[in-house]
Amino acid sequence: MAEKHKAAPMVDEISDFEILEIAVRELAIEKGLFTAEDHQLWSEYMETVGPLPAARLVAKAWLDPEFKKLAVTDGVKASLEVGINWITDMPSHFGTPSDYCNLRVMEDTPTLKHVVVCTLCSCYPRPILGQSPEWYRTPNYRRRIVRWPRQVLSEFGLALPEEVEVRVEDSNQKSRFIVLPVRPEGTEGWSEDQLAEIVTRDCLIGVAVPKPGKTANDKRPVHPAINPVDH
Amino acid sequence: MSKIHYDREHHVKKATDVGDPQCFKGEAGPAKFKVGDRVRVRDLPSLFYSRTMVYARGAECTVAELVYESPPPEDEAWDNCDNPEWFYSVIFNQKDLWPEYPEAYASDTLETELSERWLELV
Repeated sequence: MAEKHKAAPMVDEISDFEILEIAVRELAIEKGLFTAEDHQLWSEYMETVGPLPAARLVAKAWLDPEFKKLAVTDGVKASLEVGINWITDMPSHFGTPSDYCNLRVMEDTPTLKHVVVCTLCSCYPRPILGQSPEWYRTPNYRRRIVRWPRQVLSEFGLALPEEVEVRVEDSNQKSRFIVLPVRPEGTEGWSEDQLAEIVTRDCLIGVAVPKPGKTANDKRPVHPAINPVDH
Repeated sequence: MSKIHYDREHHVKKATDVGDPQCFKGEAGPAKFKVGDRVRVRDLPSLFYSRTMVYARGAECTVAELVYESPPPEDEAWDNCDNPEWFYSVIFNQKDLWPEYPEAYASDTLETELSERWLELV
């Protein structure tokens, strides 16, 4: 019986890009471009980042007009108050070729709604928002949101009236963007902790707006593996 | 023949504990455009590497902010940091990018960043 036993696969699918990454990484370590310890340090750092500091930044900005002013003029400085140092948090102490140290906080108003994309690749404010969701990196989202923003937003469940200007932020250079949404009605007198709970990752990208009682992102469809791991 | 020495760590030395693009602050000289200027995106040839989107080329936009100084990506892709430029945040009207964009949403906009070489006054 024992020879029939097979461990459950740890992943459903390994993409060509993952195989390429492993090959390039091992070559780079072999050639001495970086060490295995460097790689581990970075991987562990990337495991620690998530959207909570950005949610905290928004909650603080809603409560403190002075802090909001700082956030929209100097996102990197404002990030310090939520425990994120864009320059020294990363093991390199200056960023990476994709994690540059310039954060812009885009303030929504009742007549202006921002939504963030990177049409050229998948630039994302990782130090303060964590790893991007899979859909953010897909060509489908990247190519359609710039051209048909309202249609794409409505697929996320966000229908905006004509009088609201939709502004797409195409993050194509060294700035990284988060959205500072309008504080929703029904949150009067809330504490910073309560407010931070309703600022989800999707609200910070701009494809959703905060609502009292809604503390999680909507579920996105999960597609079956195209090339399942042959186990 | 002596071996050519190339300093592969020049960027690391410059940017560590300062940040990128912060490490290029003050290196681009006077800015050519100011906030509010109406500019057009030039359709320059981009061999090998560029971060100027095809959809933006030739379109008119308004300078919203001078964001930072940095070598343009066309140089940086080759590790050339010798000629930093001003970067501008520019706002397009969606109607100017996509002719079929619905009239009902004429106020919709798109914002992105481009370096000085890519812009010209209208």
